[in-house]
Amino acid sequence: MAARPWRLAIISLIFALTVWIWALAGILFLIRWNAVERPGPPVRELFPYGEMRIGVDASNPPFAVATADDLFGLEIDLGHALAEEIGVPVRFINMGYDGLYDSIRADQVDMVISTLTMDPLRTNDVRYTQPYFDAGMVLVSPLNSPITAMSDLSGHTLSYEFGSDADSAARLWLRRIQAFETQPYELPEYALDAVRLGHADAALVDAPSARLYLRDHRNWLVQMNYVTSVPYAIALRINRWNTWERVSLALQALSDNGTLESILKKWL
Amino acid sequence: MMNRMFAKFRNFTNLIPRWWIWYYRALLAGIILTSLAPVGPRAPLGAPQTVETVKPQVCVHTRLIDEVYEWKIQRSLKLIREMGADTIVEFFPWAYIEREKGHYDWASADVIARHARNQGIKIIARMGLVPAWARADLEEGFTTLNYLPEESFDDFATFVAAFAERYAGEIDQIIIWNEPNLSFEWGYRGVDPAGYARLLQAVYAPAHAANPNVLILAAPLAPTLEPQGSPNGLNDLLYLEALYQEGAADYFDVLAVHTYGFTEPPEAEPGADQLNFRRAELLHDIMQRYDNPQKPISITESGWNDSPRWTKAVRPALRIQYTINAFEYAEQNWDWLDKLCVWVFRYPAPTFSYPDYFTFVTSDFQLKPIYYAVQNYARGWETSENLWLPAPGD
Repeated sequence: MAARPWRLAIISLIFALTVWIWALAGILFLIRWNAVERPGPPVRELFPYGEMRIGVDASNPPFAVATADDLFGLEIDLGHALAEEIGVPVRFINMGYDGLYDSIRADQVDMVISTLTMDPLRTNDVRYTQPYFDAGMVLVSPLNSPITAMSDLSGHTLSYEFGSDADSAARLWLRRIQAFETQPYELPEYALDAVRLGHADAALVDAPSARLYLRDHRNWLVQMNYVTSVPYAIALRINRWNTWERVSLALQALSDNGTLESILKKWL
Repeated sequence: MMNRMFAKFRNFTNLIPRWWIWYYRALLAGIILTSLAPVGPRAPLGAPQTVETVKPQVCVHTRLIDEVYEWKIQRSLKLIREMGADTIVEFFPWAYIEREKGHYDWASADVIARHARNQGIKIIARMGLVPAWARADLEEGFTTLNYLPEESFDDFATFVAAFAERYAGEIDQIIIWNEPNLSFEWGYRGVDPAGYARLLQAVYAPAHAANPNVLILAAPLAPTLEPQGSPNGLNDLLYLEALYQEGAADYFDVLAVHTYGFTEPPEAEPGADQLNFRRAELLHDIMQRYDNPQKPISITESGWNDSPRWTKAVRPALRIQYTINAFEYAEQNWDWLDKLCVWVFRYPAPTFSYPDYFTFVTSDFQLKPIYYAVQNYARGWETSENLWLPAPGD
């Protein structure tokens, strides 16, 4: 009688081992399956209208701006580059922000490239690609300054734009760490001027403002560290997985071959 | 049979080392502890409050209906009261309340109404968003929540009447639809002033029958210069004129207006080809030509945006100045105006785009400088000068 439990245990062990071996084999098979390159769906299936229809709110310089008969900007260049990478004609549809997400749902556009940040509340309807730019706030301080993060500010002076997100963030940090002096200015450029001219130790501004300012002051050596993240991504309809995958791969290719960086540098 | 199985199981468990029992106990304790969640903050009603203000025109548009937590609704309304605004405009989507035909779920609307009453704040209700059962997807594709087919006008009217009856004496101003001069707001169809006039007609009598004191507000139109035949929409001046020509005047009591300043100061001259704050005067002129000159106007959306990127935004400092000047301009020059409601007090969650820069308070309840500026104005408090430093010179 005493031997029976041992037999049961051994049978259970063999059973568990068998399950594990099959599971491992399944995982290895899936890995191998995914590694095999197979041709994706043809472009005409990914873009059934024969063109890549991109929704954009062209009122956000330098990302997208409209003139009387044209659109230009970082996101317009990015849309053209993606279409070229995929090999499909492109058409931009300019609309207000309020209609952007609905235009995806109503199939008015294939995707939206319009300074959209990944919004968890939208993920029932849309799928986002990886980000193409981070527009979060950055802490700008002279090169070799000990201030590289907000927590380093105690006892120092911070400049920022009055009433901006940086203003809110500064007040928040004043409650978190030992006191630092605040210098609100009317414009973010003035806040950066204050650091450059030695009136403040660091400035807190949004990344596009900082990059645009630094383009005009190339000789000023600074360090720029992100304090918040506002990643811009492309949104596509949730049920168009193949299109999303192709666009994501194209975006990755643009990132890998340096095209994305050169577009960013052109505009920011 | 069962005894034999239990015996086998006992024998099997006897093989497990004794210290394993502590592992199972720890696992069980972990499951229990992690399933425990703190009780959410409650939002008990305090003593009824009244709004202290010296500027009764001051009003804000809120977005409370999408707020999950009751305490956040309460806190928003408390901050609005403390700012000195005695009225809010709030959205009550049909699709949220009547998800199934004839079955009303008033819970969310009741919470807002209850807390607004407690804070002494009046509500102007905006109606819109069509439930799925009333909009039936088209063969050629999905329809959006703004798609209201003519066959459902009576269903919508029934809902508005039910709303008017339930909140009679509490919410006596109801806006029918939003910006129908934009194709996006008209369910991605060509805009149709005649169709919207029929919608007003369908709603007017049932709403008044349900609440004789209700005021029906014609939908505010989006300020836009879109020409006739544009797929995006129609110029608000042209649309309003067409609406009157379709005989809509008898089917609304107040004209709601949206007027934004964009990059211009509030005093900037209006013009048919200009979008600025005083465009409201052009809409008022059209109303004077076609309607009872005593019919009031309420501006249910207005303001300036201080996004760092948007082309139609100004800097935060200028936004504050323009907003206060707009209130003063309206008070001194527009005797036909009832309320001037500024878009928007707060969003339940950030949009992560330029609309966030219309707010007075962040989603996590950080008060922006514009909140304090409007509070000073509405409550007649002294304001401090020099909110920012002069530009550092080279």
